[in-house]
Amino acid sequence: MTVADEAWAVETRGLTKRFGGNLAVDGVELLVPRGCAFGYLGPNGAGKTTLIRMLLGLTAADSGTMSLLGHAVPKHRDVALARVGAIVDEPRFHGHLTGRQNLQVLAASREPAARERIEPSLARVGILHRADDRVSKYSMGMRQRLGVAACLIGDPQLLILDEPMNGLDPAGMQDMREMIRSFVAEGRTVMLSSHLLDEVERTCDAVAIVDRGKVIRQGPISALLSGAAVMLQVECSDPDRARTVLASSALDISVEVTPDGLQITLPAETPHDVIAEVARVLVTEGISLHRLQPMQASLESWFLQVTSRLGENA
Amino acid sequence: MTTASVAARTDRRGSAVPTLSMVTTRFMELRRRRGLMVALSMVTVGLPTIFLAVRLLLHAVAPRTYGPAGGYDIYTGLTVGVLYTLGFLVAATLGATAGSVDLNEGMFRHLVVTGRSRLALYFARIPAGLAIIMPLVAIGFSIVCAVCAVAAPSQLSINGMKVPVGLSRTQLETFAVRHADEVLCDFPSFNVNVAVPCGGGGPSGPVIITRSGPTGPATAAQVNAAAIKVADQNYTDYKRQFVVPPISLMVKTGLWLELEAAIGFLVALGLGSLIGQRTVAMVMMIVLEIILTPIVLRTQIPHLINLQRAVIGIATAHLEPSRLPLAFGGGGHDYRVTESTTTAVIVVLAWVIGWTFLGAWRMRTRDA
Repeated sequence: MTVADEAWAVETRGLTKRFGGNLAVDGVELLVPRGCAFGYLGPNGAGKTTLIRMLLGLTAADSGTMSLLGHAVPKHRDVALARVGAIVDEPRFHGHLTGRQNLQVLAASREPAARERIEPSLARVGILHRADDRVSKYSMGMRQRLGVAACLIGDPQLLILDEPMNGLDPAGMQDMREMIRSFVAEGRTVMLSSHLLDEVERTCDAVAIVDRGKVIRQGPISALLSGAAVMLQVECSDPDRARTVLASSALDISVEVTPDGLQITLPAETPHDVIAEVARVLVTEGISLHRLQPMQASLESWFLQVTSRLGENA
Repeated sequence: MTTASVAARTDRRGSAVPTLSMVTTRFMELRRRRGLMVALSMVTVGLPTIFLAVRLLLHAVAPRTYGPAGGYDIYTGLTVGVLYTLGFLVAATLGATAGSVDLNEGMFRHLVVTGRSRLALYFARIPAGLAIIMPLVAIGFSIVCAVCAVAAPSQLSINGMKVPVGLSRTQLETFAVRHADEVLCDFPSFNVNVAVPCGGGGPSGPVIITRSGPTGPATAAQVNAAAIKVADQNYTDYKRQFVVPPISLMVKTGLWLELEAAIGFLVALGLGSLIGQRTVAMVMMIVLEIILTPIVLRTQIPHLINLQRAVIGIATAHLEPSRLPLAFGGGGHDYRVTESTTTAVIVVLAWVIGWTFLGAWRMRTRDA
């Protein structure tokens, strides 16, 4: 097995970056599996872009090691980046050149075959008809697409996209989502950073949560959500009394009265029998039960549970 | 070996040497800056062309009032006075642009992410930029040479006075005696003690001048002696003048102008890359060429003389072809800080290599 055959598309160990007194990336241990869409999630200022910039050799790390597609960077960055495409921050290009000419400039820095991929790449991202227009006339969404085309001219095994949904309208977001899924279907790995939890949940197979420079959770979304608390939404005849009754019961739950009724939070991996027990307790006390609905744990709710923002908001 | 490593090794992505394709696309990127190209073309080609066209037209319409479009004054004025300084400045504009636009327009990170050596990205700009600026200077200069050769006058003109070409010292003295009043009025002179009426001004007839003023009328012999003295004073300058610029001088002047433009481009490229801003780099280059160099060239400061010699403008001024008037003027006197040709060459090389090193170093270490 060669280095490039290793399981991880991205691997970092103890990666740290400091800007003055601000620890932007704090000993990050990140493992991105090959052949999946991987979300790097975090609130604004969590250090997502800084990590990506270090991976791509745009800025140096203070300490730690990292590798892309099995190649250590920055030591072998030329070999590692040969099959990496990336968009960092807002995609900007030479505004006086056309989209095609911008890609020609970039292709010239890659292998000769990259020039032949310009047309297919433009077609793939759906801007071939505007390829000969100046980029200064492009909308934000078109520049995002051109950024993706710039990635594709290198026939990348790994795409690293920093906030790819930024500035896109709903249709553009859907197109981008489908494009990302199609890359994964071709066997490419897509690592994207975002603070749009809903989009990441719809697009990615696995995520890492970063907060204040540290990766605090990572893994497949399904596995992570299975560890999230279970929520029950209850509508009943007397919510206040229901809360008192449930609070005084032996059940390990927390109850909150909301405008819609009761919201009950059960610990993660709570057996379904407990839900039935909640219903039984309420009915036994003569409280009419109109609705009892387990809520699907979302990435957003789970994210808020595990990040420090929850503590800030409390 | 994996696909990635094969691709990277076959295109030598880690090498500091840029590929031809990188150079040609960089050339395209610069050439398509329409405003910049128009400005560069206007200054290097447009200005001399318009000036010469107007001169040709005026001479054709009123040949007695307006002299020929070619000749010594026009050639030297356009080369030393216009193309030398403005060629440097337009080259600096292009260099500062090439050195900073990738960063300012957000393309730098796209290029770095390709895995291509940052040094190769920097070095690709050098041939690309020179391939733009050097032909422009060459075209502008060629137009000057062509017009000066085709529309050359039949006689030399010294401050408006027509003088035959190719006179020996004795012949010039004889000519001066025959046209004593005009020579005394029009030729530059110093320490001459005879004054004659000039164009309605001055004394009513030839007079002897002393420190205390006119002391009496001058004889014909005294006027002739004064004219011979003035002719002798101007003979060296007269011999340097020409009706049609010699081919050897054209070649030397062309190479000198190209050298100046290349230096302007390379220094500004390094400066632009170092500070990452085009405007600031441009202002610094203008200050260097328009303000600092003339001052340093004219003022000899004993304790700082070696520092003065290290200024690039001093070095290029010393490499100027000998039959041209001094760059930045001088009124016929060589006021320049003394410097050997070897020192001048070393200074030029040091500036070019030094700024290229600084620009490349910053490119390699800069956060993208």
